[in-house]
Amino acid sequence: MPTDGLVSQMRRGALEYCVLALMRDTPRYAFDLIDALGKTGMLTTEGTLYPLLSRLRRDGLVKTEWRESTDGPPRRYYELTAEGRRALNAFRTEWTAFRAAVDGILQEAKKS
Amino acid sequence: MTAPHAEQLIAGYLARLADAGAELPREQRNELIEDMRSHIAEARSRESGDETDASVLNILDRLGEPGVVVAEARDRLGVQAIPAYRPGILEIAAVVLLPLIWPIGVILLWISPAWKTRDKLIGTLLPPGGYPALFWLGAAVAVTNGEGVGCSGVGVNGQPIQFSCSGPPAWQMALGTVVAIVLLILPLVTAGYLAVRLRWGRQGAARPA
Repeated sequence: MPTDGLVSQMRRGALEYCVLALMRDTPRYAFDLIDALGKTGMLTTEGTLYPLLSRLRRDGLVKTEWRESTDGPPRRYYELTAEGRRALNAFRTEWTAFRAAVDGILQEAKKS
Repeated sequence: MTAPHAEQLIAGYLARLADAGAELPREQRNELIEDMRSHIAEARSRESGDETDASVLNILDRLGEPGVVVAEARDRLGVQAIPAYRPGILEIAAVVLLPLIWPIGVILLWISPAWKTRDKLIGTLLPPGGYPALFWLGAAVAVTNGEGVGCSGVGVNGQPIQFSCSGPPAWQMALGTVVAIVLLILPLVTAGYLAVRLRWGRQGAARPA
């Protein structure tokens, strides 16, 4: 199917903002993010989340902190920075407009 | 219960990841491996019931093929694949010149990216100066010893002349000979060592420690 590549590109592009969105209210650790993303089908190869998290950290969109856990090994928590929050808000605005535009055109096309 | 082959399976996976990630900058490769290691530890701690080899393999399968993860890392981190360095004329010149014309050999040695710093230090310091330095050292030792050797011959009315010489004792001579031989061989050993490390380094480029 010709849309396969496009959809996976779109998913890949949106993934980093989904990750930022998941951290909006509370710091999350990687496994927690993988659980949440896996349920939605946004992430199929779990290991590929780590390079993304690493880049977000290098770009200053998230900061990390190791914490002890009561039921397992220590966990690295990821938390939005102010810059990360700005990036997320900007994407949300763009995405809403983009989605509305595409939806509008698709529905017009269906009616005619 | 730990699965019978859990440690081997995990070590094997991380080794393949390190292999695939050889072209990533060291810091980013180490971070990726550490992230994966703690992911695996977390996943194992969540398994209910007895751990089996199959459950460990499932964890690794979900993580993904090391090559795929590294490709993602390359993309996300904007890393260009670096072509492996191939030793050539520079390295040959360095190895040949090091014992003969030490200063030039040392410069070439340090310019070349084909050796690790430790090997460069060994190449530079064993021995410093190469053969020219050894020659001057040998000359200096000979002069010093020569001063200590004195002979006196006494001939009395047609009697055979008796010589008595005072040189360094025999054990000292033997020790000196051994030291001299070692020093003479040392630059060749060092050059040989560098040549060997060069070849290993080429294969080792894909397998960082």
